[in-house]
Amino acid sequence: MEESFSQEELVLPQCKYEYLDHTADVQLHSWGDSLKEAFEQCGIAMFGYMTELPSVEIKQSSEIEATGHDLESLLFHFLDELLFLFSAEPFLICSKVTITQFVCEGDEFKITCKCYGEEFTLGKHPQGTEVKAITYSAMQIINEPSQNKFEVYVIIDI
Amino acid sequence: MVVRQYQQELEYLERLSPYCWKIKKGFQPNMNVEGIFYVNQTLEKLMFEELKNACRPGMAGGFLPGVKQIANVAALPGIVGRSIGLPDVHSGYGFAIGNMAAFDMNNPESIVSPGGVGFDINCGVRLLRTSLMESDVLPIKEQLAQSLFDHIPVGVGSKGIIPMNAKDLEEALEMGMDWSLREGYIWAEDKEHCEEYGRMLNADPSKVSTRAKKRGLPQLGTLGAGNHYAEIQVVEEIFDKWAAGKMGIEEKGQVCVMIHSGSRGFGHQVATDALVQMEKAMKRDDIETNDRQLACARINSQEGQDYLKAMAAAANFAWVNRSSMTFLCRQAFAKQFGLAPDDLDMHVIYDVSHNIAKVEEHIVDGVPKTLLVHRKGSTRAFPPHHPLIPVDYQLTGQPVLIGGTMGTCSYVLTGTEQGMMETFGSTCHGAGRALSRAKSRRNLDYTDVLRKLESTGITIRVASPKLVMEEAPESYKNVTDVVDTCHAAGISKKCIKLRPIAVIKG
Amino acid sequence: MSHKRFLNTLDYPQADSVNLNDEKTFRSVIVWLEENRIKGAPQAVLAKLKDLDSKDWHQVYSKYKDDLGCPVLESKLEELQWILGYAVQIEHLKNKNVYIKHAVENLQKENAPNVIAENPLDNLDFRSQEFADGIKELANALNTVVHPDPLITLKAVRKVICQRLAPDCVENPDKYVVKGTPFPYQDSDLGFDLKDPVLNQAAKILRMIYIQDLRNLQTKANELIVAVQSVTANPKTDTKLGKVGF
Repeated sequence: MEESFSQEELVLPQCKYEYLDHTADVQLHSWGDSLKEAFEQCGIAMFGYMTELPSVEIKQSSEIEATGHDLESLLFHFLDELLFLFSAEPFLICSKVTITQFVCEGDEFKITCKCYGEEFTLGKHPQGTEVKAITYSAMQIINEPSQNKFEVYVIIDI
Repeated sequence: MVVRQYQQELEYLERLSPYCWKIKKGFQPNMNVEGIFYVNQTLEKLMFEELKNACRPGMAGGFLPGVKQIANVAALPGIVGRSIGLPDVHSGYGFAIGNMAAFDMNNPESIVSPGGVGFDINCGVRLLRTSLMESDVLPIKEQLAQSLFDHIPVGVGSKGIIPMNAKDLEEALEMGMDWSLREGYIWAEDKEHCEEYGRMLNADPSKVSTRAKKRGLPQLGTLGAGNHYAEIQVVEEIFDKWAAGKMGIEEKGQVCVMIHSGSRGFGHQVATDALVQMEKAMKRDDIETNDRQLACARINSQEGQDYLKAMAAAANFAWVNRSSMTFLCRQAFAKQFGLAPDDLDMHVIYDVSHNIAKVEEHIVDGVPKTLLVHRKGSTRAFPPHHPLIPVDYQLTGQPVLIGGTMGTCSYVLTGTEQGMMETFGSTCHGAGRALSRAKSRRNLDYTDVLRKLESTGITIRVASPKLVMEEAPESYKNVTDVVDTCHAAGISKKCIKLRPIAVIKG
Repeated sequence: MSHKRFLNTLDYPQADSVNLNDEKTFRSVIVWLEENRIKGAPQAVLAKLKDLDSKDWHQVYSKYKDDLGCPVLESKLEELQWILGYAVQIEHLKNKNVYIKHAVENLQKENAPNVIAENPLDNLDFRSQEFADGIKELANALNTVVHPDPLITLKAVRKVICQRLAPDCVENPDKYVVKGTPFPYQDSDLGFDLKDPVLNQAAKILRMIYIQDLRNLQTKANELIVAVQSVTANPKTDTKLGKVGF
């Protein structure tokens, strides 16, 4: 089933992430004008490691939810949900993720996120590297609104 | 954490032999036992460089060097003997990769750690022999490589071609290779030549999350990506004629097939789920570790038991996975040569697991003990006459399969009595990374890597060019150094050296 | 019901329609069995048993079955079952040589001419010097090591003959002679040391025999798996499920 999307939904965000050195695995580093944006960018960075993102068209979308008891676990579960979206039905590879709800205070931290992309198809999407898992290893979340500094560092096991 | 200068750190390390160093207590806080690691001159340099880099100012928050990780493992509750680093050790998540540690099952404090197994549960290597010689294969090498590539799904996002539904998966998780046997994908003799006979009996699929099953189902029978591969290899050198003979390897030039793969997304999810559970268990049971990544739970706790049962299910998944690819491999060969796989004598020589935790009996300080042995990036290497190794290898010791990296040699070793005593019957697992992935991508050009492989007569079929750079031999420690160290240290013995002629990769 | 099968075996008239729960029938069956098959009771006892309507019949019967050696049982039918078994045994012993021909282990040999009822080997004296010498000679002819106990040597000789000299073995030795590279077990690690070269050598030989036993067991296990596979196996691939090769 082909979904239809608004012009705004089809606009891809700027690239605000990079891949850093690590012996066996890879470290994702992303940033943005808000923590929400840094999280979104981190998600895209992970998908960017699995394929060449320019090959991904926006044809369908899925909504995911993630919760956590602190920022670290929220980020962990957010990325784990995205990985799951790719690894099983609907096998979605995303070029854009938009967090629609971002609660990072109180007892339960929560993210609701709309993920845009299409089903991963061999032949159309070049195969990058498989992401095995998200790790807490050397995870850093820089959340300094006073300095307008929002960054996250995550190591993914590949 | 203690902050010390590199020179001060060195005071805690003591050379025991040309191939072996001791890590004294105090190197990291709360060490219950000493650490030990096996290296030769070349590997020693890499090891100490890693430590030196970590001692530079401004490195806080970065990844711990392997030698520090070995010491942190030595501080875990219930550890016995020593925390052991094998020659291919490199820094990993919690435990170093190439790290083994054993915990006393009868000590209620003892723990099990998913980090001591790794994300790719029961990642391992299987070796098939054939009756073919290199000269039989060379004329159709390209077609054969393509045929393998056409049979085995590889790379990220690939799906298995063996029809499975949710019920099949449940059964496979519980039965391991017995499922493959029942369905007729493999031969009776395959089971015989497999660690644990291809089935962990304590597997309990009900302890596995739906999420893991959903990730696993489409991926059963796929090779995966990363360092996983299927290779056509030829026997390059035979070091132990008799042991090789027992494995059906009679002469140089004989063709073999090596499959290196694991439990795919299924195992990764089981590990991820367990780590989340164990964080909670650690808080509840007041388990203190030196590193937050060393998430663990008491063996006897609910979380510990659940993990062991889910891990066993993932191990079974991996055996079924390698068995499915064995089936596909045999089909590819049979089609190319117009002969049945049995006429090609395509028997499984052995199948090892190098990411796993198992309950084993060992002698500790002269007393027999039941231990939970964690091997992460480490292969079991039991000596001759051990009751858990196949009857065919009772006289030679267990075959140990050491996969090289893309384009480099692989080895078959055998287990020794000395290894049984020194390292709980464990040895290395492969080459071990030396360069980071990002560095490999920056420094190497993939066309160069491919050209270099071609010039050495290696046919390659690969799904992802990016991976070719990351997995280039230059990115790894030299497998020959690793294997020679194990041989010289006596913890396992060289038997056969294999050279790749065609590589299939993710 | 096994009573009727036994009665049939013993050629009791109308065995199929007999109602043993009927007291009178029960009594007449006992009388018939004694009179025609068991034939062990004195005339006086038989006469009393034959008096089917006597009020003492039970007393007489009770003594009769005790004399036969029937154990204390729960019901009369069980007693009858025992007596029937006793009668069958007597019949069998009488015609042993006839029945033995039909025994399962002898069925295959049925076609062989001149079945000799008496086994001449039964008359051999296994302790005689003559026997020992004969076995020794046989062993030497077959290149088998002689054991001081001729019976053990005989066992070894039997193994050699059964495993290597059966007609099919002689015709197709390749099928039976184990192939493979000999393994220098002398140099192999025993795994322990008995501090005595002779004992170590013996231990090694025991290990080899043990390994061979294990191998045979494993081979049988494999054969069993293969037999089951012939029922359950149905391997499939479906390339539509995933994309391979590109």
